[in-house]
Amino acid sequence: MLSHSSLTPIQIGLHKVQKRIAFYLGILSDWATFIGTVLILGLGTSWYMIDVGSPLTTKQQGPWTGWVSAGRSDADPYTRAHFARLGSLQLSTELIKTYVAERDDDGGRLHSSCEYVVEGSLLDTDWWSLTAFDDRGELIPNSAKRFSYTSDTVAVRPDGSFIASLGRDARPGNWLPTGGAGSLTLVLTTLDPGTPLLDDANGTQLSLPEIRRLKCR
Amino acid sequence: MPLKVPQSIRHPNWRFIFAALVGAAILHICATMAAPYLTAESAYSRLAPALPINKVRILEPIAPGAEPLPFFPPDVRYAMCRFDTSKGPVSVAATLPADTGWTITVHAPNGNNLYAAASNPGRPTPISLLFIPSSEQFLGVTPEARGIARSTQPPQAISAARGIVILRGPQKGIAYTRYIDAELKKIACSGPKF
Repeated sequence: MLSHSSLTPIQIGLHKVQKRIAFYLGILSDWATFIGTVLILGLGTSWYMIDVGSPLTTKQQGPWTGWVSAGRSDADPYTRAHFARLGSLQLSTELIKTYVAERDDDGGRLHSSCEYVVEGSLLDTDWWSLTAFDDRGELIPNSAKRFSYTSDTVAVRPDGSFIASLGRDARPGNWLPTGGAGSLTLVLTTLDPGTPLLDDANGTQLSLPEIRRLKCR
Repeated sequence: MPLKVPQSIRHPNWRFIFAALVGAAILHICATMAAPYLTAESAYSRLAPALPINKVRILEPIAPGAEPLPFFPPDVRYAMCRFDTSKGPVSVAATLPADTGWTITVHAPNGNNLYAAASNPGRPTPISLLFIPSSEQFLGVTPEARGIARSTQPPQAISAARGIVILRGPQKGIAYTRYIDAELKKIACSGPKF
Protein backbone atom coordinates (compact mmCIF):
# COMPACT_ATOMS: atom_id res chain seq x y z
CA MET A 1 0.00 0.00 0.00
CA LEU A 2 1.25 3.44 -0.87
CA SER A 3 1.68 6.02 1.83
CA HIS A 4 0.49 9.60 1.32
CA SER A 5 4.01 10.82 1.15
CA SER A 6 4.84 8.52 -1.78
CA LEU A 7 1.89 9.75 -3.93
CA THR A 8 2.52 12.32 -6.58
CA PRO A 9 0.21 15.38 -6.80
CA ILE A 10 -1.32 13.91 -9.97
CA GLN A 11 -2.21 10.64 -8.19
CA ILE A 12 -3.71 12.57 -5.27
CA GLY A 13 -5.76 14.64 -7.74
CA LEU A 14 -6.95 11.50 -9.53
CA HIS A 15 -7.91 9.93 -6.21
CA LYS A 16 -9.96 12.99 -5.30
CA VAL A 17 -11.68 12.91 -8.70
CA GLN A 18 -12.42 9.19 -8.23
CA LYS A 19 -13.92 9.84 -4.80
CA ARG A 20 -16.05 12.70 -6.19
CA ILE A 21 -17.28 10.52 -9.11
CA ALA A 22 -18.12 7.71 -6.68
CA PHE A 23 -20.00 10.22 -4.52
CA TYR A 24 -22.05 11.53 -7.48
CA LEU A 25 -22.63 8.00 -8.79
CA GLY A 26 -23.99 7.08 -5.36
CA ILE A 27 -26.40 10.03 -5.43
CA LEU A 28 -27.38 9.18 -9.03
CA SER A 29 -27.96 5.55 -8.08
CA ASP A 30 -30.13 6.59 -5.11
CA TRP A 31 -32.21 8.86 -7.34
CA ALA A 32 -32.49 6.19 -10.06
CA THR A 33 -33.71 3.69 -7.46
CA PHE A 34 -36.15 6.26 -6.10
CA ILE A 35 -37.52 7.23 -9.53
CA GLY A 36 -37.71 3.60 -10.65
CA THR A 37 -39.60 2.61 -7.50
CA VAL A 38 -42.00 5.54 -7.87
CA LEU A 39 -42.62 4.79 -11.59
CA ILE A 40 -43.15 1.06 -11.10
CA LEU A 41 -45.37 1.48 -8.04
CA GLY A 42 -47.33 4.51 -9.32
CA LEU A 43 -47.89 3.47 -12.94
CA GLY A 44 -48.15 -0.25 -12.16
CA THR A 45 -50.89 0.13 -9.56
CA SER A 46 -52.72 2.67 -11.76
CA TRP A 47 -52.60 0.30 -14.76
CA TYR A 48 -53.83 -2.62 -12.63
CA MET A 49 -56.72 -0.67 -11.13
CA ILE A 50 -57.78 0.65 -14.56
CA ASP A 51 -57.32 -2.54 -16.56
CA VAL A 52 -58.26 -5.27 -14.10
CA GLY A 53 -60.15 -3.39 -11.40
CA SER A 54 -60.48 -4.14 -7.72
CA PRO A 55 -63.27 -5.22 -5.37
CA LEU A 56 -63.95 -1.49 -4.91
CA THR A 57 -64.78 -0.96 -8.60
CA THR A 58 -65.83 -4.36 -9.93
CA LYS A 59 -67.96 -7.30 -8.94
CA GLN A 60 -67.02 -10.80 -9.92
CA GLN A 61 -68.95 -14.04 -10.20
CA GLY A 62 -67.08 -16.99 -11.64
CA PRO A 63 -65.40 -15.81 -14.84
CA TRP A 64 -67.73 -12.79 -15.21
CA THR A 65 -66.65 -9.29 -14.22
CA GLY A 66 -68.88 -6.24 -14.06
CA TRP A 67 -67.85 -2.64 -13.36
CA VAL A 68 -70.11 -1.33 -10.62
CA SER A 69 -70.47 2.29 -11.73
CA ALA A 70 -69.98 2.00 -15.50
CA GLY A 71 -71.53 4.84 -17.50
CA ARG A 72 -72.73 6.70 -14.43
CA SER A 73 -72.05 10.35 -13.76
CA ASP A 74 -70.84 9.42 -10.25
CA ALA A 75 -68.38 6.84 -11.61
CA ASP A 76 -64.98 6.59 -9.92
CA PRO A 77 -61.84 7.64 -11.87
CA TYR A 78 -60.77 4.01 -12.44
CA THR A 79 -64.07 3.11 -14.10
CA ARG A 80 -63.97 6.27 -16.24
CA ALA A 81 -60.40 5.52 -17.31
CA HIS A 82 -61.21 1.84 -17.99
CA PHE A 83 -63.99 2.61 -20.45
CA ALA A 84 -62.19 5.59 -21.97
CA ARG A 85 -59.29 3.25 -22.73
CA LEU A 86 -61.64 0.66 -24.22
CA GLY A 87 -63.29 3.32 -26.39
CA SER A 88 -66.69 1.72 -25.89
CA LEU A 89 -69.96 3.49 -25.19
CA GLN A 90 -71.02 2.25 -21.81
CA LEU A 91 -74.60 2.14 -20.60
CA SER A 92 -75.38 3.20 -17.07
CA THR A 93 -75.45 0.32 -14.60
CA GLU A 94 -78.63 1.88 -13.23
CA LEU A 95 -80.32 0.50 -16.36
CA ILE A 96 -78.18 -2.15 -18.00
CA LYS A 97 -75.52 -4.39 -16.49
CA THR A 98 -72.63 -5.56 -18.62
CA TYR A 99 -70.51 -8.55 -17.61
CA VAL A 100 -67.34 -9.53 -19.44
CA ALA A 101 -65.66 -12.95 -19.42
CA GLU A 102 -62.24 -13.62 -20.89
CA ARG A 103 -61.75 -16.94 -19.11
CA ASP A 104 -63.74 -20.13 -18.60
CA ASP A 105 -64.84 -21.51 -15.23
CA ASP A 106 -61.47 -23.27 -14.81
CA GLY A 107 -59.52 -20.06 -15.42
CA GLY A 108 -58.35 -20.91 -18.95
CA ARG A 109 -58.24 -18.09 -21.51
CA LEU A 110 -61.20 -18.31 -23.91
CA HIS A 111 -59.83 -19.20 -27.33
CA SER A 112 -61.33 -20.06 -30.69
CA SER A 113 -59.31 -23.28 -30.85
CA CYS A 114 -61.46 -24.67 -28.03
CA GLU A 115 -65.14 -25.53 -27.73
CA TYR A 116 -67.20 -24.20 -24.86
CA VAL A 117 -70.66 -24.51 -23.43
CA VAL A 118 -72.36 -21.53 -21.80
CA GLU A 119 -75.19 -22.74 -19.60
CA GLY A 120 -77.47 -20.87 -17.27
CA SER A 121 -80.80 -19.33 -16.54
CA LEU A 122 -81.48 -15.61 -16.64
CA LEU A 123 -85.23 -15.69 -16.04
CA ASP A 124 -85.01 -12.96 -13.41
CA THR A 125 -83.85 -10.31 -15.86
CA ASP A 126 -86.15 -8.36 -18.18
CA TRP A 127 -83.94 -8.92 -21.21
CA TRP A 128 -80.43 -10.22 -21.82
CA SER A 129 -77.95 -10.76 -24.62
CA LEU A 130 -74.79 -12.84 -24.99
CA THR A 131 -72.23 -11.83 -27.62
CA ALA A 132 -68.88 -13.29 -28.64
CA PHE A 133 -66.16 -10.82 -29.64
CA ASP A 134 -62.50 -11.23 -30.43
CA ASP A 135 -60.03 -9.71 -27.97
CA ARG A 136 -60.18 -6.32 -29.77
CA GLY A 137 -63.93 -6.08 -29.29
CA GLU A 138 -64.77 -6.85 -32.93
CA LEU A 139 -67.43 -9.26 -34.12
CA ILE A 140 -66.28 -12.61 -35.45
CA PRO A 141 -67.19 -13.01 -39.14
CA ASN A 142 -69.07 -16.21 -39.94
CA SER A 143 -71.20 -17.51 -42.78
CA ALA A 144 -74.17 -18.04 -40.47
CA LYS A 145 -74.08 -14.31 -39.61
CA ARG A 146 -74.65 -15.24 -36.01
CA PHE A 147 -72.93 -13.05 -33.44
CA SER A 148 -75.12 -13.16 -30.35
CA TYR A 149 -78.15 -14.62 -28.63
CA THR A 150 -80.72 -12.66 -26.70
CA SER A 151 -83.60 -13.67 -24.44
CA ASP A 152 -85.77 -13.18 -27.56
CA THR A 153 -83.75 -15.37 -29.91
CA VAL A 154 -82.23 -18.13 -27.76
CA ALA A 155 -83.83 -21.58 -27.70
CA VAL A 156 -84.62 -22.39 -24.08
CA ARG A 157 -85.26 -25.68 -22.31
CA PRO A 158 -88.60 -26.42 -20.60
CA ASP A 159 -87.27 -25.07 -17.28
CA GLY A 160 -86.32 -21.75 -18.89
CA SER A 161 -82.57 -22.33 -18.82
CA PHE A 162 -80.43 -22.29 -21.95
CA ILE A 163 -77.28 -23.86 -23.36
CA ALA A 164 -75.19 -22.06 -25.97
CA SER A 165 -72.24 -23.70 -27.72
CA LEU A 166 -69.14 -21.77 -28.74
CA GLY A 167 -66.89 -23.32 -31.34
CA ARG A 168 -65.62 -23.37 -34.90
CA ASP A 169 -67.83 -26.20 -36.07
CA ALA A 170 -71.60 -26.01 -36.30
CA ARG A 171 -73.54 -27.44 -33.36
CA PRO A 172 -77.21 -28.18 -32.92
CA GLY A 173 -79.15 -25.69 -30.83
CA ASN A 174 -77.74 -22.31 -29.86
CA TRP A 175 -74.38 -22.16 -31.61
CA LEU A 176 -72.11 -19.10 -31.61
CA PRO A 177 -69.39 -19.51 -34.25
CA THR A 178 -65.91 -18.47 -33.12
CA GLY A 179 -64.05 -19.09 -36.40
CA GLY A 180 -60.35 -18.37 -36.16
CA ALA A 181 -60.70 -15.32 -33.94
CA GLY A 182 -57.97 -16.31 -31.49
CA SER A 183 -58.61 -15.02 -27.98
CA LEU A 184 -62.30 -14.50 -27.25
CA THR A 185 -64.27 -12.15 -25.04
CA LEU A 186 -67.84 -12.92 -24.04
CA VAL A 187 -70.11 -10.03 -23.14
CA LEU A 188 -73.33 -10.62 -21.25
CA THR A 189 -75.75 -7.71 -21.02
CA THR A 190 -78.79 -7.77 -18.76
CA LEU A 191 -81.56 -5.20 -18.58
CA ASP A 192 -82.46 -4.70 -14.91
CA PRO A 193 -83.56 -1.12 -14.28
CA GLY A 194 -82.95 -0.02 -10.71
CA THR A 195 -81.23 -3.15 -9.39
CA PRO A 196 -77.60 -3.29 -8.21
CA LEU A 197 -74.96 -5.23 -10.14
CA LEU A 198 -75.26 -9.02 -9.75
CA ASP A 199 -78.66 -8.66 -8.04
CA ASP A 200 -81.98 -9.45 -9.65
CA ALA A 201 -85.20 -7.45 -9.34
CA ASN A 202 -86.05 -9.26 -6.10
CA GLY A 203 -82.73 -8.29 -4.52
CA THR A 204 -81.36 -11.84 -4.58
CA GLN A 205 -78.00 -12.76 -6.05
CA LEU A 206 -78.22 -13.09 -9.83
CA SER A 207 -76.73 -16.35 -11.05
CA LEU A 208 -74.64 -15.81 -14.19
CA PRO A 209 -74.13 -18.61 -16.73
CA GLU A 210 -71.32 -21.12 -16.42
CA ILE A 211 -68.65 -21.29 -19.12
CA ARG A 212 -67.32 -24.84 -19.45
CA ARG A 213 -64.52 -25.90 -21.78
CA LEU A 214 -65.36 -29.11 -23.63
CA LYS A 215 -62.18 -29.72 -25.65
CA CYS A 216 -59.35 -27.98 -27.45
CA ARG A 217 -57.70 -28.78 -30.74
CA MET B 1 -25.24 -21.54 8.56
CA PRO B 2 -27.25 -18.45 9.51
CA LEU B 3 -28.89 -16.56 6.65
CA LYS B 4 -27.19 -13.26 5.95
CA VAL B 5 -29.76 -10.46 5.99
CA PRO B 6 -28.83 -7.62 3.64
CA GLN B 7 -27.88 -4.32 5.20
CA SER B 8 -30.75 -2.52 3.43
CA ILE B 9 -33.31 -4.81 5.07
CA ARG B 10 -31.68 -4.81 8.51
CA HIS B 11 -31.54 -1.03 8.50
CA PRO B 12 -34.21 0.19 6.05
CA ASN B 13 -34.07 3.79 4.98
CA TRP B 14 -37.51 4.83 6.21
CA ARG B 15 -37.17 8.30 4.74
CA PHE B 16 -36.58 6.75 1.30
CA ILE B 17 -39.50 4.32 1.67
CA PHE B 18 -41.87 7.08 2.80
CA ALA B 19 -40.79 9.41 -0.03
CA ALA B 20 -41.16 6.62 -2.60
CA LEU B 21 -44.65 5.76 -1.36
CA VAL B 22 -45.74 9.41 -1.43
CA GLY B 23 -44.23 9.85 -4.92
CA ALA B 24 -45.92 6.66 -6.17
CA ALA B 25 -49.26 7.76 -4.73
CA ILE B 26 -49.02 11.15 -6.47
CA LEU B 27 -48.06 9.49 -9.77
CA HIS B 28 -50.88 6.92 -9.36
CA ILE B 29 -53.48 9.68 -8.93
CA CYS B 30 -52.09 11.77 -11.81
CA ALA B 31 -51.91 8.77 -14.18
CA THR B 32 -55.44 7.63 -13.30
CA MET B 33 -56.96 11.10 -13.70
CA ALA B 34 -55.09 11.72 -16.96
CA ALA B 35 -55.87 8.30 -18.52
CA PRO B 36 -59.26 9.30 -20.07
CA TYR B 37 -57.58 12.25 -21.81
CA LEU B 38 -54.66 10.20 -23.11
CA THR B 39 -56.77 7.79 -25.18
CA ALA B 40 -56.45 8.15 -28.93
CA GLU B 41 -60.19 8.49 -29.60
CA SER B 42 -63.18 8.51 -27.28
CA ALA B 43 -66.43 6.78 -28.20
CA TYR B 44 -68.04 10.19 -28.83
CA SER B 45 -65.28 11.38 -31.16
CA ARG B 46 -65.50 8.11 -33.13
CA LEU B 47 -69.27 8.30 -33.54
CA ALA B 48 -69.66 12.07 -34.05
CA PRO B 49 -68.27 12.41 -37.62
CA ALA B 50 -70.89 9.99 -38.96
CA LEU B 51 -73.82 11.70 -37.25
CA PRO B 52 -75.45 14.91 -38.52
CA ILE B 53 -76.03 17.54 -35.83
CA ASN B 54 -79.56 17.75 -34.39
CA LYS B 55 -80.86 15.12 -36.81
CA VAL B 56 -81.72 11.46 -36.39
CA ARG B 57 -79.74 8.78 -38.14
CA ILE B 58 -80.77 5.13 -38.07
CA LEU B 59 -77.73 2.89 -38.19
CA GLU B 60 -77.54 -0.14 -40.45
CA PRO B 61 -77.51 -3.49 -38.64
CA ILE B 62 -74.11 -3.99 -37.04
CA ALA B 63 -71.92 -6.36 -39.04
CA PRO B 64 -68.29 -7.55 -38.75
CA GLY B 65 -65.88 -4.94 -40.07
CA ALA B 66 -68.49 -2.17 -39.76
CA GLU B 67 -68.71 -1.83 -35.99
CA PRO B 68 -68.64 1.85 -35.05
CA LEU B 69 -67.07 1.09 -31.66
CA PRO B 70 -65.38 -1.85 -29.93
CA PHE B 71 -67.72 -4.18 -28.03
CA PHE B 72 -70.71 -2.66 -29.83
CA PRO B 73 -73.68 -5.03 -29.31
CA PRO B 74 -74.95 -6.37 -32.65
CA ASP B 75 -78.26 -7.64 -31.27
CA VAL B 76 -79.78 -4.17 -31.16
CA ARG B 77 -80.78 -1.65 -33.86
CA TYR B 78 -79.80 1.96 -33.20
CA ALA B 79 -81.25 5.39 -33.93
CA MET B 80 -78.88 8.19 -32.93
CA CYS B 81 -79.10 11.96 -32.71
CA ARG B 82 -75.99 14.03 -32.06
CA PHE B 83 -77.14 17.24 -30.45
CA ASP B 84 -75.40 20.57 -30.06
CA THR B 85 -77.04 23.31 -28.03
CA SER B 86 -74.54 26.07 -28.87
CA LYS B 87 -77.13 27.78 -31.14
CA GLY B 88 -80.17 27.02 -29.00
CA PRO B 89 -82.17 24.29 -27.27
CA VAL B 90 -82.69 20.90 -28.89
CA SER B 91 -85.76 18.77 -28.27
CA VAL B 92 -86.03 15.01 -28.60
CA ALA B 93 -89.29 13.08 -28.57
CA ALA B 94 -89.56 9.30 -28.70
CA THR B 95 -91.93 6.58 -27.61
CA LEU B 96 -90.57 3.34 -26.27
CA PRO B 97 -92.98 0.64 -27.45
CA ALA B 98 -94.81 -1.70 -25.07
CA ASP B 99 -92.09 -4.31 -25.42
CA THR B 100 -88.97 -5.54 -23.60
CA GLY B 101 -85.40 -4.49 -24.31
CA TRP B 102 -85.99 -1.00 -25.74
CA THR B 103 -83.88 1.75 -24.17
CA ILE B 104 -83.14 5.41 -24.73
CA THR B 105 -79.96 6.92 -23.33
CA VAL B 106 -78.22 10.27 -23.53
CA HIS B 107 -74.42 10.22 -23.52
CA ALA B 108 -72.17 13.18 -22.78
CA PRO B 109 -68.91 13.44 -24.78
CA ASN B 110 -67.02 12.01 -21.79
CA GLY B 111 -69.20 8.87 -21.84
CA ASN B 112 -71.41 9.69 -18.86
CA ASN B 113 -75.06 8.74 -19.16
CA LEU B 114 -77.06 11.95 -18.68
CA TYR B 115 -80.39 10.17 -19.00
CA ALA B 116 -81.49 6.57 -19.37
CA ALA B 117 -84.89 4.91 -19.61
CA ALA B 118 -86.12 1.43 -20.54
CA SER B 119 -89.37 0.30 -22.12
CA ASN B 120 -92.24 -1.11 -20.10
CA PRO B 121 -93.84 -4.25 -21.59
CA GLY B 122 -97.19 -3.14 -20.18
CA ARG B 123 -97.57 0.19 -21.96
CA PRO B 124 -95.78 2.54 -24.38
CA THR B 125 -93.44 5.00 -22.67
CA PRO B 126 -93.42 8.51 -24.17
CA ILE B 127 -90.13 10.35 -23.65
CA SER B 128 -89.75 14.07 -24.17
CA LEU B 129 -86.36 15.68 -23.55
CA LEU B 130 -85.20 19.26 -23.92
CA PHE B 131 -81.47 19.91 -24.06
CA ILE B 132 -80.51 23.37 -22.95
CA PRO B 133 -77.05 24.91 -23.14
CA SER B 134 -76.97 26.02 -19.51
CA SER B 135 -79.32 25.51 -16.61
CA GLU B 136 -79.29 29.28 -16.00
CA GLN B 137 -80.05 30.37 -19.57
CA PHE B 138 -83.39 32.16 -20.10
CA LEU B 139 -85.38 30.33 -22.75
CA GLY B 140 -88.53 32.44 -22.78
CA VAL B 141 -91.63 32.56 -20.65
CA THR B 142 -93.27 29.20 -20.03
CA PRO B 143 -96.89 28.64 -21.20
CA GLU B 144 -97.95 28.43 -17.55
CA ALA B 145 -96.42 31.86 -16.83
CA ARG B 146 -98.44 33.27 -19.76
CA GLY B 147 -101.63 31.80 -18.36
CA ILE B 148 -101.86 28.99 -20.92
CA ALA B 149 -102.57 25.54 -19.62
CA ARG B 150 -100.34 22.82 -21.07
CA SER B 151 -102.08 20.04 -22.90
CA THR B 152 -99.03 17.81 -22.78
CA GLN B 153 -96.51 16.90 -20.14
CA PRO B 154 -93.57 19.36 -20.14
CA PRO B 155 -90.33 17.89 -21.48
CA GLN B 156 -87.57 16.90 -19.13
CA ALA B 157 -84.89 19.59 -19.31
CA ILE B 158 -81.27 18.42 -19.40
CA SER B 159 -78.39 20.86 -19.30
CA ALA B 160 -75.78 19.72 -21.83
CA ALA B 161 -73.72 21.45 -24.51
CA ARG B 162 -73.17 18.38 -26.68
CA GLY B 163 -73.92 14.69 -26.64
CA ILE B 164 -75.62 11.77 -28.37
CA VAL B 165 -79.13 10.40 -27.86
CA ILE B 166 -79.33 6.69 -28.61
CA LEU B 167 -82.56 4.77 -29.06
CA ARG B 168 -82.03 1.01 -29.03
CA GLY B 169 -84.44 -1.59 -30.32
CA PRO B 170 -83.64 -5.28 -29.76
CA GLN B 171 -83.28 -7.44 -32.87
CA LYS B 172 -85.71 -10.32 -32.61
CA GLY B 173 -85.25 -11.81 -36.04
CA ILE B 174 -86.08 -11.06 -39.66
CA ALA B 175 -89.83 -11.13 -39.03
CA TYR B 176 -89.54 -8.13 -36.72
CA THR B 177 -87.27 -5.97 -38.94
CA ARG B 178 -90.05 -3.74 -40.32
CA TYR B 179 -91.61 -3.28 -36.88
CA ILE B 180 -88.27 -2.28 -35.33
CA ASP B 181 -87.46 0.08 -38.22
CA ALA B 182 -90.88 1.72 -37.90
CA GLU B 183 -90.47 2.22 -34.15
CA LEU B 184 -86.94 3.63 -34.57
CA LYS B 185 -88.20 6.11 -37.17
CA LYS B 186 -90.61 7.59 -34.65
CA ILE B 187 -87.86 9.37 -32.74
CA ALA B 188 -87.73 13.08 -33.51
CA CYS B 189 -84.75 15.33 -32.87
CA SER B 190 -85.19 19.02 -33.62
CA GLY B 191 -83.02 22.03 -32.98
CA PRO B 192 -81.14 24.84 -34.75
CA LYS B 193 -79.58 23.91 -38.09
CA PHE B 194 -75.82 23.76 -38.52
